[in-house]
Amino acid sequence: MKSIRKIDAIPKLNGSWKFLDDYSYEEMIHGQLLYSTCHHGTIKKIHFPDGYNLSEFTVVSAANIPGENIVPEPVCDQPYMADKEVFHFGQVIMGIAHPNRKLLREFIRKIKIEYEELPAIIDIKECLENEDNVFGKELIIDHRTGRKPDPNWIHHHKIYYTPHQEQAYLEPQGMIAVWQPKEKIMFVRATCQCPFFVKEGVETIMGSAIKEAVIETSEGIGGAFGGKEDFPSLLAGITSLLSYKSGKPVKIVLEREDDIQITTKRHPARIEIETWTDPETRKIMKIYIDYRLDAGAYQTLSPVVLARGVLHAISGYSIPDAYIRGRLFRSNTPSNGAFRGFGAPQAFAAMEAHVESIAADMNINPYKFRRKNIFRIGNEFPTTQPILENNLSDCLERVIEKSNYLQKLEEFKEWNKTHKDKKGIGISIGYHGGGYTGNGEKVLNSEVKVVIEKDATVKIYVANTDMGQGAHTTLAQMFFEAIDHPREKCLVQLPNTSKTPNSGPTVASRTIYIIGNLLRRFALKIKDELGFENLDDYVSSNQNEFPREFRMKFVQDPSVVFDEENYVGVAYKDYSWAACVTEIYFHADTYQIELTKSWNVIDIGKVVNQKIAVGQAEGGILQGLAYGLCEFFYKAGYGRMHGFSDYALPTTMDLPEIDVEFIHTDSPIAKGLGEIPMDFPAPSVRNAFHNATGIFIDEYPLVPERIFKSLTADERR
Amino acid sequence: MINLNFNVNGKDVKLTVDDSLRLLDILRDELGLTGTKEGCAIGECGACTVIMNGEAVNSCMILAEQVQNAKVETVENLEKNEVLSKLQDAFLDNGAIQCGFCTPGMLMSAKALLDKNQNPSEEEIKTALEGNLCRCTGYIPILNSVKDAVEKINLAKGS
Repeated sequence: MKSIRKIDAIPKLNGSWKFLDDYSYEEMIHGQLLYSTCHHGTIKKIHFPDGYNLSEFTVVSAANIPGENIVPEPVCDQPYMADKEVFHFGQVIMGIAHPNRKLLREFIRKIKIEYEELPAIIDIKECLENEDNVFGKELIIDHRTGRKPDPNWIHHHKIYYTPHQEQAYLEPQGMIAVWQPKEKIMFVRATCQCPFFVKEGVETIMGSAIKEAVIETSEGIGGAFGGKEDFPSLLAGITSLLSYKSGKPVKIVLEREDDIQITTKRHPARIEIETWTDPETRKIMKIYIDYRLDAGAYQTLSPVVLARGVLHAISGYSIPDAYIRGRLFRSNTPSNGAFRGFGAPQAFAAMEAHVESIAADMNINPYKFRRKNIFRIGNEFPTTQPILENNLSDCLERVIEKSNYLQKLEEFKEWNKTHKDKKGIGISIGYHGGGYTGNGEKVLNSEVKVVIEKDATVKIYVANTDMGQGAHTTLAQMFFEAIDHPREKCLVQLPNTSKTPNSGPTVASRTIYIIGNLLRRFALKIKDELGFENLDDYVSSNQNEFPREFRMKFVQDPSVVFDEENYVGVAYKDYSWAACVTEIYFHADTYQIELTKSWNVIDIGKVVNQKIAVGQAEGGILQGLAYGLCEFFYKAGYGRMHGFSDYALPTTMDLPEIDVEFIHTDSPIAKGLGEIPMDFPAPSVRNAFHNATGIFIDEYPLVPERIFKSLTADERR
Repeated sequence: MINLNFNVNGKDVKLTVDDSLRLLDILRDELGLTGTKEGCAIGECGACTVIMNGEAVNSCMILAEQVQNAKVETVENLEKNEVLSKLQDAFLDNGAIQCGFCTPGMLMSAKALLDKNQNPSEEEIKTALEGNLCRCTGYIPILNSVKDAVEKINLAKGS
C-alpha cells in the first residue's frame, strides 16, 4: 500500500513530458479529416474551393485504400472512410494534408459536399423506442424458474433512460504517421490505449503496401477513459494513408469540436425493468430486464459493451427468477464506444433507481430493502456464477455507518418540513467484473517481457499504456516489491509494438488485475528460477548471464468457464464491489441540485499504491456523479454538443466533498479499479433527490430543466 | 507580419511573426516551449493558461499583437536549477498529477492567484481554478496542493 510517487510526475510538472502534439519530424505536414455533415445520404459531388493550389494538398479517400476499408473491431462493419453513402454525421469522407495547418483548416472549412439526403434517425428516443432499429445479436440471460408470480407479489414496471457521456480527455485525439519506404515500415506515434489495436488498424488499411506497422505511444497520453480504445485505429489508418501518399510524416491532431462531435461516446440506454416483490419477505422474487443501447451507425465494439451491460444489469441482488435481454439499436449517429464502466453505469443507473422505487412504494427503508436482497455467499448471479463473498454487503454496511445515513434520513425529514429548499440523501451500490468478459482473457493470451541488464536494471515491456492512471508506476511497483528490488532500477518501457509483446489492451480494469498480478508472479518466478535472495548481488556475481530476457504468459484460472452462446457460467473471476451514499442540497428557486458530500466504500482487494488508487477513485466518482447530475450530449431540437461550453463538465465550483475508503485490503489479489468508481455514483444522486422531494425522475441526468418539468407536472397532477 | 518585443520567463524576445498567430502558437512553435498545452483553442478548458502581465490568461485567446511589450511566464519557468517550486512540490506530494495535460495550466492559474494573494480562502482557490478543467483527478488533490503550497510559502516567510 506504499504511495510510491508516479515516475512521470516531475516531467509533467515542469512541462518536459511530451504529449502527441509536442512531437515533430523533419518535413512533417499536417492532416485533418473531412467528415459528413449529413446524417444519411449519398454523396453527389464534392466541391473544392477556388483559389488554392490543389497540388500542394494530399488527399485520400476510400478509393485510395490499398488494403481493406473496414476498421478491425469485434464486429467489423465500419469503414475508415465512406465511399458513396454516408450513414451518420461525422463519418469521415477524406483525409487531407498540407504543410500549413492554418491554411489546411481554412481549405477544409470551405469544401462543399452535395448530398442526396435519405431518412435518418438522430434522436435517441426515436432510435431506442422502435424495435425495427434492432441490429446485431440479441444477448439473453435466462434464469427463469417457470414459477408464476404469486397473486400477492407486488409488481413494479418502469423505464429508465441514460444519456450519452463524453470522455472529455483533455488531450485531443492525435496521431503521427511516418512512412519509411525503404523498410516498408509505417511508424506511428499514437496517443492511445491499445497499441496493438492501432497496429492492426494500420495494417488493415495499408494491406500489402507495407511490410509492417510499428506503433509507439507518446510519452504522455492526456487522458482516455475508453475514448482512446478504438477511434485511434481509424485515425491511425487515415494518417498512415496520408503519409504513404505524400511520402512525408503526417500529424493529425483533432480540433476539439471535431473530437467532441465525431468520436465515440458512452451509449445512451433505455432500460425497462419489471419486478415482482413478496411483501411478506420483502424479497424481489422475479425480474425482467430489457436493456437497450443506441449503438450508433455501426456495431463496432458495442456487442462487448452490451455483454457487460446485461451481466451487470441485475445490480447486486439475489433474485431467484430472472430474464435479461440485451439489444443494440441502430441510429444515424457516430458509433458509440468504450467509456469507463462499459455498459455497467447504465445498468446500475437503472436498477439502483428501480430498487429505490420499490422500497418507496412499499414504504420500506431503502437501506433495509437493499440489505434484504443483496448478494451473499450461497447466492448466484443470473448466469449461475456462485457468489463467493459478502464483500458487497460489507461495503453497504460500512458506508451506511460512516455516512450516518439512518440518522440523517430522520434529520432531513424534519428539516425539510420547515424549509423551501430541501436536503436529501441517497444510496447506490455497484460492482465491476475484472478483465475481459467470459473467455476473453484466455483468447487474449497476454504476454509480458522483462530484460535484466548488467547493472541489474529491470526493463519491463508491456503493451499497456499509462494514460494518467499511473499504470506504469504501479506495474513496476508490483514487480519490484515482489523481489524487494530498488524502485529506481525497475522501469516500464514506453510501449512500442516492435519491442513489446502483446499484453493486451489497456481496458476492462485489467491492467493491474491481469498484467500487474502477472508481473508479481513473474518476478517471483524469476527469483525462484535464478535462486537469488538479492537481484543486485546475483547480477554482479553472474555478469556473463546478463543482459537476459524473460517472457511469461497469462494463464487463465481453469474455473473460469463461460458459455458465450447461452450466457451461463463464470463471466468474471473476480469482482470489485462498492457502495455509496450521497447527500444533496436542492435549491427550490433554481431547481438545482448541489452535491454536498459523497461517501464511497470500495473493495478492490489489495491496494498496491494508496495515493494512486484514491486518485483513481475520486476522479471516477466525480465522473459518475456528473453522469447523474449534469452531463448529456444530445438534446432534441439542438443536436450534439460542440465543446466544453455546451457540454457541462464539472469544474472546481461543482465539487462536493468526496470520501473514499477501501475495505478488505488484506486480500492477496489486486482487483480491478479503473472502472468501478464510475459505475455506481449516478443513481445515488437520483435517489437523494427523491429523498429530498418525494419525486422520482427516471431519466438522467437530473438537470434543472428536467427537475422543473417533473415538479410542475407533479403539481398539475 | 508583426515585429514583437516581449519578455518570456525573464528573457527578452524579439520575433517577427504572422500577426494571426496566437500567444500559444508563439510559445509552442516559435519558441519551442511545448509545456503549455492546447486543449480546445477557444478558451474553454484552461490547458494553455500562462501568466501575462501578472494575470492568468488562456494563451489560445491572445493574439500576437497583444503580446507586444508583455511579460509572459510559462510552466517552464517554475523549476529553478532542477528544484521544483513550492507549488510544484505540493502537487507532487498530493498526487495531483494524473494524465498531466491540465497540469501546466493548473499550475499557472494557481501561481497567478498566489502571486497576488498569499492567503486565499478555499472559495478563492476554487474560483481561481474554475476555468481549468481536469477530467482525471476530480480536482480534490489539486485544491489540496494549492492549500498546502499556501502553508509552505507562509511557513518559509515566517522562518
